[in-house]
Amino acid sequence: MSDIVATNQTILVVGGGISGMTAAIEAAEVGKQVIVIEKRPFIGGRVSQLYKYFPKLCFPTCGLEINQRRINANKNITVVTMAEVTGLVGEAGNYTASVKISPRYVNSNCTACGACGDAVESEFDNEFNYNMDKRKGAYLPYNLAQPQRYVIDPQMIGTDDAQKAKDACKFNAVDLDMQEETIELKAGAVIYATGWRPYDANKIQPYGYDRIKNVITSVEFERMMDPFGPTGGKLVRPSDGAEAKKVAFIQCAGSRDRNYLKHCSRICCMASLKQSTYVSEKYGDDAEVSIYYIDIRAIDRFDDFYQKVQDDKNVTFIKSKVASIVENKANGNPTLHGVDTEGYNRYANEHDLVVLAVGMEPSVDKDTFPIEIKVNDEGFIEHDEANGGVFAAGCSSDALDVNRAVQHATAAALRAIQVVNRVAKAEG
Amino acid sequence: MSTNTGMVEKYRNNFLKEVEANVEEGEWVKMCMQCGVCAGSCPLGSHWAHPPQEIFMMIRAGKRDEVLTSDSMWMCTSCYNCIVRCPRELPITHIMHGLANYAKRLGLTPKSQPTAWFSQVFWDNMMKKGRVNELKLGLSLYFKDGLVSGIKESIKHQKLGMNMMKAKRMSIAELFGGHGVKDISDLQKIIKKAEEIENARIESYGK
Amino acid sequence: MAGEMKIGAYVCKGCGIGERLNADQLATTATRDGKAAICQQHDYLCSEEGVNMIQNDIDNEGVNRVVIAACSRRAKTDAFAFKHVTLHRANLREGVIWVRPDSDDQQETTQEMADDYVRMACAEAKYSKVPEASGQQGVNRNILIVGGGVAGMTAALEASKAGYPCTIVEKAATLGGAVAQLYKTIPTKAPYADPQDSGVDELIAAIEADSNITVHLNSRTTNIAGAPGRFAADISAESGATVTKDFGAIVQASGFKPYDANQLPEFAYGKNKDVVTQLELEALAKAANGSAIKRPSDGKEVSSVVFVQCAGQRSKKEGHLEHCSGYCCSASIKQAMYFKDQNPDVETTIMYTDLRTPGAGGENFYRSGQKKGIIFTKSVVSEVVNGANPTVKFKDLILNEEAEVEADLVVLATGMVPNAGQATRAELTIEENEDKADAKSSGEAQVIRVEVESILNLDYRQGKDVPHMANGFADSHFICFPYETQRTGIYTAGPTRRPMDAKQAMDDAMGAAMRAIGEAENAGLGKAAHPRSGDLSFPTFRKEGCTQCKRCTVECPFGAINEDEQGYPVYNESRCRRCGTCMGACPVRVISFESYSVDTVGQQLKAVDIPEEFDEKPRILVLACENDAYPALDMAAQNKLEYSAFARVIPVRCLGSISLSWITDSLNSGFDGIMLMGCPSGDNYQCHFVKGSGTAQERMGKVGDTLQSLSLEKERVATYEISITDIHKVPKLINDMATTIEKIGMSPFKF
Repeated sequence: MSDIVATNQTILVVGGGISGMTAAIEAAEVGKQVIVIEKRPFIGGRVSQLYKYFPKLCFPTCGLEINQRRINANKNITVVTMAEVTGLVGEAGNYTASVKISPRYVNSNCTACGACGDAVESEFDNEFNYNMDKRKGAYLPYNLAQPQRYVIDPQMIGTDDAQKAKDACKFNAVDLDMQEETIELKAGAVIYATGWRPYDANKIQPYGYDRIKNVITSVEFERMMDPFGPTGGKLVRPSDGAEAKKVAFIQCAGSRDRNYLKHCSRICCMASLKQSTYVSEKYGDDAEVSIYYIDIRAIDRFDDFYQKVQDDKNVTFIKSKVASIVENKANGNPTLHGVDTEGYNRYANEHDLVVLAVGMEPSVDKDTFPIEIKVNDEGFIEHDEANGGVFAAGCSSDALDVNRAVQHATAAALRAIQVVNRVAKAEG
Repeated sequence: MSTNTGMVEKYRNNFLKEVEANVEEGEWVKMCMQCGVCAGSCPLGSHWAHPPQEIFMMIRAGKRDEVLTSDSMWMCTSCYNCIVRCPRELPITHIMHGLANYAKRLGLTPKSQPTAWFSQVFWDNMMKKGRVNELKLGLSLYFKDGLVSGIKESIKHQKLGMNMMKAKRMSIAELFGGHGVKDISDLQKIIKKAEEIENARIESYGK
Repeated sequence: MAGEMKIGAYVCKGCGIGERLNADQLATTATRDGKAAICQQHDYLCSEEGVNMIQNDIDNEGVNRVVIAACSRRAKTDAFAFKHVTLHRANLREGVIWVRPDSDDQQETTQEMADDYVRMACAEAKYSKVPEASGQQGVNRNILIVGGGVAGMTAALEASKAGYPCTIVEKAATLGGAVAQLYKTIPTKAPYADPQDSGVDELIAAIEADSNITVHLNSRTTNIAGAPGRFAADISAESGATVTKDFGAIVQASGFKPYDANQLPEFAYGKNKDVVTQLELEALAKAANGSAIKRPSDGKEVSSVVFVQCAGQRSKKEGHLEHCSGYCCSASIKQAMYFKDQNPDVETTIMYTDLRTPGAGGENFYRSGQKKGIIFTKSVVSEVVNGANPTVKFKDLILNEEAEVEADLVVLATGMVPNAGQATRAELTIEENEDKADAKSSGEAQVIRVEVESILNLDYRQGKDVPHMANGFADSHFICFPYETQRTGIYTAGPTRRPMDAKQAMDDAMGAAMRAIGEAENAGLGKAAHPRSGDLSFPTFRKEGCTQCKRCTVECPFGAINEDEQGYPVYNESRCRRCGTCMGACPVRVISFESYSVDTVGQQLKAVDIPEEFDEKPRILVLACENDAYPALDMAAQNKLEYSAFARVIPVRCLGSISLSWITDSLNSGFDGIMLMGCPSGDNYQCHFVKGSGTAQERMGKVGDTLQSLSLEKERVATYEISITDIHKVPKLINDMATTIEKIGMSPFKF
């Protein structure tokens, strides 16, 4: 990794999700040198784990394919995966970042032929599917993973299986002695595109996510719809594999609540509306969807989508923050208790499956940024002169949908370009 | 539902202002966003004619009489579930007690409301000796609805009473005066001062 | 490219290819059938050694057409990135061995498959040229910004900060647009508690101080000719004076028009002076400037105000707006604060159905509003009754009752109507001449076209403005690509693109400025814009063959082709996105790209070895969209999902680029089935070239006649809509086609 060339005209993009990719591509396609630092073994971020986008119901991998092709074709972009920025010092036009790179145990010789994966037997929790199933210890994170290169789970190192993986590789791509390393990179501007993580549903105790099998999160529900997901694309209950036709969505699961996240996560209403179509897609008129909400925030053109879902007679909207979920031990059905505040109706509704529309939390904990920048109470980076040459892109700046995140990332690229162009001018 | 002709002036914030001024923690009422989690998490919820969030909306809608004569806020048992769950941090339990207190002050509490009645008995009992006379309090509760039902109630709880006496948790002697705190006058002074402060506060709002 | 064409073919034996296939035979095929001058085999072609071997042949042996017989064109692109040569990939790994069972009885057909792919790659090589930019334009870094509101000003300032000179054309006499009419704006910084100054004056001052920015007030763009990198814009002042300036790219920030509240008689607008729109309230607040706001009818200080949200919005009623304008909830909170901050005793009620204040700032602002005593009532307003004081009739949805309230002032939260110019005809089809298209377009579109003045006045064959999307906004159709536009080099920002508040518009403007800069730079280098970023090839046509049928100019999804007086196409390279729809449209096959032409594909399918009818080895041609169907096929292979050995897959840029001649040629040469795999079409189309698969389906409708004339069954040619996730579906479709052919029998056209 010591061959990475970086100067104070380089733009460092932290995070290789859709926002980071966008910022990188925008800057690189006007000739800027960009280095993308991605924590996971592949770029694409959260959107790679989505089944469909709202409101078009198209597939995120379609856009990823295009963006990955653009990145692969662009010599100005260097992608460093399994890497994290652990230190950042300096000022606009002159930063030095410390980047910790974890061992992948597979080098660039890899052709993704899959021989190592075939050779090993040990299996580990599959984080790509939110640990709902297992994957091999030598694996390609998912079908479209870029770089198209296998990864060896560190938990496998030192076992016979690791050796099997090494022996199976004809191209000397498996390197079990690979070590963690930290490199230093210069940069003129830094774009934080560190994105978001789903709010930890275990913290919402009354909803029993940790106790009731048929209570899942919205991000898990997305994975279930994927034909290569944990259920092979079947919409079934985790408890018994039975078809989940009567599905409840609980909005603001962790959002707009001083006990959890104070802010509105913006995307969850649309996500649930979208996911309601999944149930219809699978079960047609047998689908029975209930959406429990406080306000349906289908902003601007998204309202068309809301209106469409409202027209679906199989979808019911209940203005209510669900109070509690209790499992019916006899059949595993979660029973929702609460009050429909439109006219005061108390309910105790049983469903096959409950989906918690979990909120969006910034990936980087508030006080852990390696450099002093302005972060608001919610943990999002505020745009501020005081941040110098560090700019947020996408969900590190606010709870945003994909479209707005990409829009924001495009703008962030320009902010970074302004800095490095200034440097270039000063340096003649 | 037909339009109430008296409604025109009602949808004004007057009652909300009244509540903010006179009800403990009343200034929180406006912060409710009508999610209903308080109503849903209340263990006695099904006994309420109007759950907290609806009461808040009624206050905003100026439904003064309906709110103050309601027995709903008297149903609160101070379990604090609603406070814990409220996404907006409203001190709902306190507001409910505040509303009940205010309604009582105005004499709007429903006559037969048992919680209100019990509260009064409790207060009167306690004020005599500076401490609660449990025997008298228990008996007055049994005889609340008259002699016949009182005797029936007493017989029902006879065994419990005997056991408590055996365990020296209750004494028949308490029927005759009962014991009190060391110096009741000090306590009365404290209470009197508190009442003065409270009254002054109420006075200052002109209600 | 100087010198003779020289094909070097390189067969990789890694990843199991060597074990599963006869590499020597592949090499023989490459030299004998493919006419490769050089053919080498390697155990691990993408290794440094393998790549060096190829590079050596390029450097020293004069190889300028490189055929890689290895993995998919989507794999190892970093290794196989040779300069100044054309590159062709015979997909032996994902395309052959991974989709075929490893058994002796299948070996023969599997090898045939691989041999064909080698022949096809060589054929493609033979007919390809190294693309070179046309040089039709140079780099022009001047950015034209149409609209001088906060979005336009932000675009100018930010682009200027990056070193790009900007010119703002503003219709009005002053800069500032709609935001200049506001008393204050929604807060943009933590703690998001109070209305803030709009900052318009500072923006204007910054513009005036920036020598890199030129402003034309009282002006419009009356004609924009050219293309990215060489736009020539006529900027005409009200006085009539016109200047023409050259630009590299354009940002359109033409804002919005307030919804005409006169269409809301049920809310007494126009009947009662004290029923105003949000924008009118801003004027009252500005006049009051911090003192008590007075109502219009009698100048009385307002002591009670009701805000009616979604007035004429989120409604399918005629004359109403279907969309939510997104900003009005926050705007009403802000306006209620105008009253509350001045006098907390003013009663302010917001009547809403869903309070939409998303994100971190939104929720804080909502809470702040409540704290200040604004009353939020979830309700549906049915009527505002005219009277000395307007009376709002509504249904309280929480208390579930009809109610009414009298107020000194009623504010209607009416929405934004995009100021996006004329609705252009994005859906022209091949048979329609202009007159027909006029007659066919919807009534609404016609009305708009009559009434609405163009904003850009583009000198484009397909209309004067950027095509409109849902609800008349000039938005992008794509979620991952908010600035993907059907008019390359022209980027919309702010409420003309989507309803939004000032802050969002400014953020949006910055994104649009970035895209404009990107396009100005790329166009100058002759590079294509997204999704074929960096592609240097561009379409040209052979004039002698052209029949002036205008199909190409009509069908181009990007308005890239104009017509000259004689009706010949005039290509504007940098408007072009290289989809090849024009090539597919051309009935006389005179349009081609250097690296993609009727021949590069046509010769591939001719290179396929067609066994005799009685061999019972049918051939199925699969033309697959390179962005979705082809990756889906690759991923199917990754998962070892098998499909028929009779399939021969050719990636195409877009189904819109498919020439009918490919279909007729393959039928004539004995293909038994033809499958076209494109993206889903319709309202939620996924084609980044707008309508490729729709166009293909339509064109294939005509293949029926051809099939009939050849006495062939119509099942032999089929079009499919494939998403990139249809990984299980694509192999199944191919196998279904193989079964169908088994049923209906082999094509009799085998020679």
